[in-house]
Amino acid sequence: MKKIRNFFKNTFNKITLFYENKIRPRKDKVISFILKYLGISFVHKQFLKLNAKRRKAVIGLLFVLPWLVGLYIFGLQPFIQAIRISLADQAKYVIDLNTNSVAFEVKGWTFKHFISLFKTQPDHVELVFDVFLDILLIVPLVMVFALVLALMINQNIKGKGIFRVIFFIPVILLSGSMLYYFSEYNLLRAPAVESGAITSGIYKYLPAQLASLITLAFEKIVLILWLSGVQTLIFLAGLQKADKTVYEAASIDGANLWDSFWKITLPGLHSLMIINIIYTAVIYANLSNNRLVVLIENTLVDVRFGRPYSTALAWILFVIELLIIGIYTLLIKLSNKRYQ
Amino acid sequence: MKKMFTKRKLLGRTGNDGLIFKIVLYILFIGISFIFLYPILQMTVTSFMPLVDLIDPTTIWIPKNFTFENYLRAINALKFWRSLKDSFIVSIIPTIFVVFSSAFIGYGFASFDFPFKKTLMVVLLAIFLIPNILMSIPTYVIYRRLNLISSLKTYIYPALLGFGIRQTIFILIFYQFFKMIPEELKEAAEMDGAHAFKIFTHVAIPMSMPAFLITSLYSFVWYWNETSLPLKYFQKNDGTFSFTTLPMAVRDFVRVYRELYPTGTVGLEGASETFNQGVQFAGTMLSILPLLIVFFIAQKWFIESVDRSGIAGS
Repeated sequence: MKKIRNFFKNTFNKITLFYENKIRPRKDKVISFILKYLGISFVHKQFLKLNAKRRKAVIGLLFVLPWLVGLYIFGLQPFIQAIRISLADQAKYVIDLNTNSVAFEVKGWTFKHFISLFKTQPDHVELVFDVFLDILLIVPLVMVFALVLALMINQNIKGKGIFRVIFFIPVILLSGSMLYYFSEYNLLRAPAVESGAITSGIYKYLPAQLASLITLAFEKIVLILWLSGVQTLIFLAGLQKADKTVYEAASIDGANLWDSFWKITLPGLHSLMIINIIYTAVIYANLSNNRLVVLIENTLVDVRFGRPYSTALAWILFVIELLIIGIYTLLIKLSNKRYQ
Repeated sequence: MKKMFTKRKLLGRTGNDGLIFKIVLYILFIGISFIFLYPILQMTVTSFMPLVDLIDPTTIWIPKNFTFENYLRAINALKFWRSLKDSFIVSIIPTIFVVFSSAFIGYGFASFDFPFKKTLMVVLLAIFLIPNILMSIPTYVIYRRLNLISSLKTYIYPALLGFGIRQTIFILIFYQFFKMIPEELKEAAEMDGAHAFKIFTHVAIPMSMPAFLITSLYSFVWYWNETSLPLKYFQKNDGTFSFTTLPMAVRDFVRVYRELYPTGTVGLEGASETFNQGVQFAGTMLSILPLLIVFFIAQKWFIESVDRSGIAGS
């Protein structure tokens, strides 16, 4: 053991000695030699000729370069390929018997996968609409719950740190498979809802549409709360940045809490709300237990449908996501205009 | 006078500092916390119940016959220690790449002006919107062509180039952090003869340690929880996997468990015995236990992350 350690110590010492005596004094020379050898010194000279602003632009681009390469390989290329596959007649792996190699073949241009989805697969169309409505309803519910939670935590009470920790646990655990087990074993609804007492009461006293929305909220209460962790904290950060003096001025003018919530707090949170809506829609649509995602995975390996069809479905998921973000962003922008 | 005083104490001056308000708030907090934790609590409790308790409708929360048997079986069926090792490899190694490349890219966006910067940042945001599944179908084809399938490179390469799991968020977090560094500090370093990379490593990085912590925590968690990507990317030609993470193992749990403990080898009769909720929940709990441990060690950072990332400011 000692021998080995000594051996390493000696070699290390030798290397450092060599570096200190031989390379260090000629460090600049060595580097310039390497640069010259690689042909970089020419580039470097050209670079020094640039003015300060341009030089900064070049350095900036060098920093972003990895991402630009990634954008081509993992962004642009798959994106175009996804368009191509969804419009292809066939896209599959073909085994070349001569060379015994596998090649990916994309053949033909057609729009038939999108058409056949709407024409011959009524159950898939129905599922697409279900998923659309599901996300459409979940997003505002998550917004409301996140806002209420943020307002609650923002109150000046003791022990709110513990509640913040509890509210944050789902952010760590949230994943498609986790939610799948929850729905599989009926853990998504809180025990009180199962008695049905609340839901029947709601239907008695409220208009049917509103009642069904509220029932849905109760039905999926755990899911909604589990989805709203990050959003709550984003709202909370916004609330804590709000100017306290505005509230004081308003209360002197006779505004009660209700007024100041609608007239000061809510308009101040508009931009954060848009961030939260985008975040919620993207995260929820991407969960692996999303029924459309499951359908895409299944059709991908199903001989009756194949790759182009499932890619077409994936595009529809993207459209759904964009539609929902668009609708709610527009709504918020419009209500924002009313305040100004 | 005294009546006025008690009224003020109960209701408060502005309506949100009275005693009644606070009591209502605490009740709400406790209620909501319960709903938040309900699935986890239910899973934890059930995972300690033997079959007798599961069938017995009078056992609701506290197991009457407390048992570790479920966990022992789950550890067997999950091949727990191997899956745990795989999970750590698959989450930690890409995370290292994700964090450093995000810092690098974020610094480029935050401190330099270059042509098309605004456009590129819009593209950066737009990428976040594209569903993973849409990109993963053609990406799989690319990986297969490059012969990367079933190796960890399928995770490392995108992470290195800014396209790891939800990496847009991390790049934006670093962007916010680096924006906050005062310009004078960078100029002073430049005066002293430091070049751009040295300023990055000696000024920017030491000043944004929280960002490194936050992004590595989140990245770790998100790589850990991912199930659909590893199922695609780590599958070998013969159908087995080069890495089996814990969430993947839990997915496959029912089948493996039935093979390990077929009907008849256990005491009680009935097919329901072979696979019961208790064991399933024990398996799920085991798969999230490491995450919970990481969370409770670092919960302060997780929670502060949102404040620190400056999302609310922009």
